[in-house]
Amino acid sequence: MFGAAIIKIAFAASILSTILYFIVHKNSSEQVKRFARLFYELAVAGVVTASVMMIYFILNHQFQYYYVWNYSSTDLPLPLLVSTFYAGQEGSFMLWALYTGIIGLVLLRYTSKRGYEAEFMAVFSAIFSFLILMLVVKNPFKPIWEQFSSELLHVGEIPSTVTNFIWVDQARSLWAQIPTEGKGLNALLQNYWMVIHPQILFSGFTSMSIPFAYAVSAMLKKDYVSWIKVATPWSVFGAMMLGTGIILGGYWAYETLGWGGYWGWDPVENSSLVPWLVCLASIHTMLAQRKNGTYIKTNFVLSMFCFILVLYSTFLTRSGVLGETSVHSFVDPGMWVYWLLLFVIALFSALGFGLLFSRWKEMPVVPVEHSLVSREFALFLGASSLVFAAIFIVIGTSSPIITNILKGKISAVDPSFYVTTTLPLGIAIALLSGIGQLLWWQNSKTDALLKQLLLPVILSAALTVITFFMGAIHPMMIIFIFASSFALFTNVIMGIKIVQGNPRMAGGSLAHIGIAIMFLGFVASAKYDDVKTVNLEQGKQVEALGYKMTYVGYQPLERGRFGFNVEVEKNGQKFVVTPVMFKEGDEGSLIRNPDIINLITKDFYVSPLSLEVPEGNEVTIFKGKTETYEGMDIKYLDYTFTQTKEQGNYLVMDIEVTKDGKKEIIHPTMSNKGGQPVYKEALLSNTGISFEIKSMNPSKNDDEAKVTLTINGVNNSSASHASKKETLVVEASVKPYINLVWIGTVALIGGFLITIVRRIKEVSKK
Amino acid sequence: MNLKVLVASIIIVGALIFGASTFIESNIEYMDFAKAQSVNKKVQVKGKWVKEKESQFDAAKAQFTFYMVDDNDQEVKVVLDGAKPNNFEMATEVVAKGRFKDGYFHANELLTKCPSKYEGNGEAVKKTL
Repeated sequence: MFGAAIIKIAFAASILSTILYFIVHKNSSEQVKRFARLFYELAVAGVVTASVMMIYFILNHQFQYYYVWNYSSTDLPLPLLVSTFYAGQEGSFMLWALYTGIIGLVLLRYTSKRGYEAEFMAVFSAIFSFLILMLVVKNPFKPIWEQFSSELLHVGEIPSTVTNFIWVDQARSLWAQIPTEGKGLNALLQNYWMVIHPQILFSGFTSMSIPFAYAVSAMLKKDYVSWIKVATPWSVFGAMMLGTGIILGGYWAYETLGWGGYWGWDPVENSSLVPWLVCLASIHTMLAQRKNGTYIKTNFVLSMFCFILVLYSTFLTRSGVLGETSVHSFVDPGMWVYWLLLFVIALFSALGFGLLFSRWKEMPVVPVEHSLVSREFALFLGASSLVFAAIFIVIGTSSPIITNILKGKISAVDPSFYVTTTLPLGIAIALLSGIGQLLWWQNSKTDALLKQLLLPVILSAALTVITFFMGAIHPMMIIFIFASSFALFTNVIMGIKIVQGNPRMAGGSLAHIGIAIMFLGFVASAKYDDVKTVNLEQGKQVEALGYKMTYVGYQPLERGRFGFNVEVEKNGQKFVVTPVMFKEGDEGSLIRNPDIINLITKDFYVSPLSLEVPEGNEVTIFKGKTETYEGMDIKYLDYTFTQTKEQGNYLVMDIEVTKDGKKEIIHPTMSNKGGQPVYKEALLSNTGISFEIKSMNPSKNDDEAKVTLTINGVNNSSASHASKKETLVVEASVKPYINLVWIGTVALIGGFLITIVRRIKEVSKK
Repeated sequence: MNLKVLVASIIIVGALIFGASTFIESNIEYMDFAKAQSVNKKVQVKGKWVKEKESQFDAAKAQFTFYMVDDNDQEVKVVLDGAKPNNFEMATEVVAKGRFKDGYFHANELLTKCPSKYEGNGEAVKKTL
């Protein structure tokens, strides 16, 4: 069909562009270059057209496309409807390809002005080709009848009852019935974060390919020095985009998914964190190379790894290789995608590292001439710490693969692995980011350094003592707090000096201030949070963690959701939180969203667990035993259980009820044909009293075998049943100083922005 | 120069040893209930929720109790610290992380796999016609 054809044309064009650019690299022909450009632009036009078509199909509910049917529905509000574009595998690759293509147009102009176009675009367009290839393999425009041929494809007359159909092949009177409604977007994704987070994250993934393309093209050009200047602003840009994407993901998890925290060391989160850490390391070693020419090879290796690791992450999270070890559910995309991703990793690694080894001896060796007490060495140690953190996280995330190879059995690491391994590195990073600011290039005088250290050390010690009395008493945390405060104060002091001189140079200080504040926020909000499960009976005030809470009732919200209102009182201030719970899908899974009171020094986080409805009219009976309920004797005799293909599981109870001297055996039933069990009540003759199974344990052991019956229709005289109220069960927690995490993020991003502006100006000046 | 190489190599070797030992320590093995019963450490067990049997949330203790059958058809009572997870009803498979305690499996984490939601199946398409 049309969409799939366009994707194939775009793929052919981008491959051609790669080849032509490579020819230009060899013979510098201006004419060939024009064609190479043209084909690149054609490929971008193809991907843009395909994306526009997809958006059009989604907005117009064209459910004859499997992808549109699978992820969208007619009841979604417009922004969410648009976001279903990238809700699945195919669409998210298309988004990635789209951003890569478009940013390539910018890079084409940028590199062309700096004499890098042929080499850079050859590599970049190869990366673009790979992304389009994913769409060729997994066609986002697959017709729905190809997925469900037995359900939807028909031959012959179209019955008059069918209104929504498409002729597949009219000559052979082959037609397909088209759904009138889509399956809809996963409820957990129905949230405004879905509109922005994936977009920023994929821009981040896109930007990680830029350092790779620069490194490879520099080696092609045998330019081992000046490429750093051209590439630096883009590496910082990549770090900014990916960093923003990661933090937004964390905020999404915290604010709506109700994971309780913003970070869970899940493979999906880790897999975007790792390339980011490596990119940060490369920014630092690039800085060292700019100053005195060292770390030439390191910079090639790190820049290439930024992208290779994005590919590896994509492989880990998209190929189904992690099995059951991740909270995120991934569809097994089929062997095609698995092998294609492995092939692409091998291809780009072979290209990059093959070139590196062939150029290895040519690369100038700059003898390292700095002392242990120099800014270069601090940069080196800082970059190493970042790389080690990345290595540990990669190893932990790859644990299912590693253990499968070594032991033949899959196992994942406990999240504590990441905390244990990265905490010492975090301390090192914090200390180095402080000391690094005080040190001079080449060599520093030790006594001058000590003098400068005095003020920040005193301030940090003071802050550490204060936090100790606030409750931060764990040895590792004390060290981490001291290191982070040290990073904060040295960078603030140096930052003030820099701003007085030249504010444009303050990017580094600001970014480090941001990291230090984030570290302090991590300790406070993740290590020293307070959590408590609280039962809130309607209308009754309960005090927990110093907050007085009253559950007042619930009200329906849009799209089948329910908001549960809880009044919260603290020191005379009153708030209302409305956590949300709702049943989703045919099988009625419970989805919960927390609500947060955002105070300056802390968040009060209320996560709903369940709503317990009073259960006055229930009786639990063990097998063979009799219970009395409202004057009736109810005996659990036995049950019969059958399992057939047509009916599924079918269970019939034998219950003997004695009322007013009359005995009767009744049979409430339960059937279960995949999904939720269906219960059918049994009536006691001439009474209007019904018995329904609520739950049962069919154990063979009579001590365990029991049933709980719901009994309705009895004229209930005892007031005790009526007076019971519903109870909302919530998990309440206090997250101290969590705002530091968000403030730190803003400072970090601000630092990146200032640095980008400074570095771009530098390259433009020439 | 030599001093720097020495410092760097000590740091690298130390980091590697530290990482490897932590990795081995914190690995949570997959096993069935029979084996999980015999080892006294945190493990993970894959299986299915026994929907026919009772499952309940104890609000006072904030624990969710249900029955789970592993791949060898051994059925065990599982007590989870926390509420019934999102998507629990839709899960075709569950993975419980925890350890055995007094005849039941005490889980502190429960993962759910729900392919039906994400992968279109024939039943689902019929409902939307």
